[in-house]
Amino acid sequence: MKRIRILTCGTRLLARPAPRRPLCPCAPQLQRHPHTTPHSPRTQAQWQSSSALAESFDASLSDPHADPPLESTEDEFPLEVLPSPHPHASKSSAKLAALRSRLSLPPRFPLETLARTLVHPSADPNPAFNNASLSILGANLLGYYTTEHLLCNYPRLPMEVVFAAQFAYIGPKALTTIAAEWGIEAAAEPGGEVDPGLLQFRRLRSGDELPAALRRPKLPPKWNITVTHKILSNDEFGSPTRRVAPEDLASRPVPLEEAAQAFVRALIGSMHLHLGSPAVKRFYRDHFLSRHLDLDKLFDFRTPTRDLSRLCAREGFEAPVARLISETGRLSRHPVFVVGVFSGKDKLGEGAGSSLDEARVRAAAAALKGWYLYKPLEVTVPSSTEGGVGANQWKPNMVDCGEVIV
Amino acid sequence: MSTCKTLLRACPKSSRSSLLPLTHHRHESSTRRHKKLLNLSDAPSYTPSTRTPTLIFNPPSSAPSVYHTPLKFLPQTDRRRQLYSAALTSTTQTALRTRTPSIAHSGTPLSTPSFLPPKPSTPLPAPVREPYEKKYHLTEKDMEEIRKLRTEDPDTWTRVRLAEKFGCSQFFVGMIVKNTEKAERVREEHEKMRERWGPRRRMAREDRGQRRERWGREV
Repeated sequence: MKRIRILTCGTRLLARPAPRRPLCPCAPQLQRHPHTTPHSPRTQAQWQSSSALAESFDASLSDPHADPPLESTEDEFPLEVLPSPHPHASKSSAKLAALRSRLSLPPRFPLETLARTLVHPSADPNPAFNNASLSILGANLLGYYTTEHLLCNYPRLPMEVVFAAQFAYIGPKALTTIAAEWGIEAAAEPGGEVDPGLLQFRRLRSGDELPAALRRPKLPPKWNITVTHKILSNDEFGSPTRRVAPEDLASRPVPLEEAAQAFVRALIGSMHLHLGSPAVKRFYRDHFLSRHLDLDKLFDFRTPTRDLSRLCAREGFEAPVARLISETGRLSRHPVFVVGVFSGKDKLGEGAGSSLDEARVRAAAAALKGWYLYKPLEVTVPSSTEGGVGANQWKPNMVDCGEVIV
Repeated sequence: MSTCKTLLRACPKSSRSSLLPLTHHRHESSTRRHKKLLNLSDAPSYTPSTRTPTLIFNPPSSAPSVYHTPLKFLPQTDRRRQLYSAALTSTTQTALRTRTPSIAHSGTPLSTPSFLPPKPSTPLPAPVREPYEKKYHLTEKDMEEIRKLRTEDPDTWTRVRLAEKFGCSQFFVGMIVKNTEKAERVREEHEKMRERWGPRRRMAREDRGQRRERWGREV
């Protein structure tokens, strides 16, 4: 969640110093042409930094008859040979252009990169053409922005609730829903002749087994896997297994959920590279944080009364006392009791139930939620201080001493 | 009030002269009964006292939101503490200024506020369970005694009886001495009992357990 997996990133970025596009048969032709838009991350970075990108785009726009070399090569290399659509096809794809404007991305975000974010490693195992590296970057960014939002705004949240909230905001299911809301359609079968605006991945047929990397073996719970252990060694959702490495899924059939979440992550990663972090933060706020999540529904207290009395003892408050605020129909079939938990003269929480015990337990749970869901008035998230101009002044946030341990 | 009136009117009076024939009497016109008398004035909280447009805030009574942190749980540096104390001062002043709520008397206009903030001297509601002080009165010798009794004759000296005898809680007795033999036997007995349950009772028990789990989950 908070660390960057240097090992995986490292292998991805540093492993291939050799030929830039080893598998693409059209490579020599493309590289000779002056208007070719770069495809591999390295050339993209060069172009962006040298500010030649805008000029070249203008040139290609003003000169529509500039012949793409694709047509000349089509006789020698049929498109079906390619595992994923050729980068050149993205220029003429209506779906890609529509997607870019639907997401309100500026025109300087290249369509070729957008097309690349739609190629899952299961369709194209070549890391220079699939979205594996971008999705690793995007997953780290998403995890970072979500965690800082949660930890700064709700400093007292228990770690398990933070995990659940992360899953709700940027978990696989949420990302799949987001991709569906953006109108992403999946190609029936990946290939060079397919429209690059479709999500390219090798489908898992219904009834087939998941690939080994995605299978979650049912292991008996280990006593020594603590929350700290989950924070340090597993993925950002506190699941018992590590995050799946993209190279394990290369050329294996995968479910739609896997491909859709990789696309959303890769889009975030490529936006970070092309548009910079302020744009990504805005995009994240609009598309991810704007989704409503009831944090108070994520709690599950087993012994709330005991937890509350431990909390009061820890914080130096008077011991909590449950008091009957009002009741109706005590001798009827459906009584209702309203019980408040008081510490001294202050009411900590209130709950209603059809028995005294139920109302008491609910009141204690409400009081605990009141403690955990405390939200400071002024919050400075760390990422808002990044960047020179317009960055916020850092004001230290509240750091809580941690959840109640009974 | 008016509703009660019409209801009273609807009930026929029993004292009638028996010699007269039973005929239907209409004392008021239908329009008046159905329209005018039932035309109640607005609730007091929806009728602002001033003519100028004001904000009406009258939420239905519901459980307090868990996102409103109670005063005691706010850190010392939080600015909401001052707001809370200001609100407390104003409600206390209102409560002290107003005499007992007049809603109880007959003839009270509807515009009277029925719910007054509690005065500072108002006692807190009665506790659900009697609060108790922890005594810490058992000595090492008493604990030895408890252990001896429980291990020698667990059927006579159950946890309940030991707790009564020594004035501590059953939980404490269980902490001092554990009788695994007895626990196993009791568990088996209960298991046998549960096997005799029919489907309805079993389902009812399972539902009850699930409802119990939801107590700590939803508010």
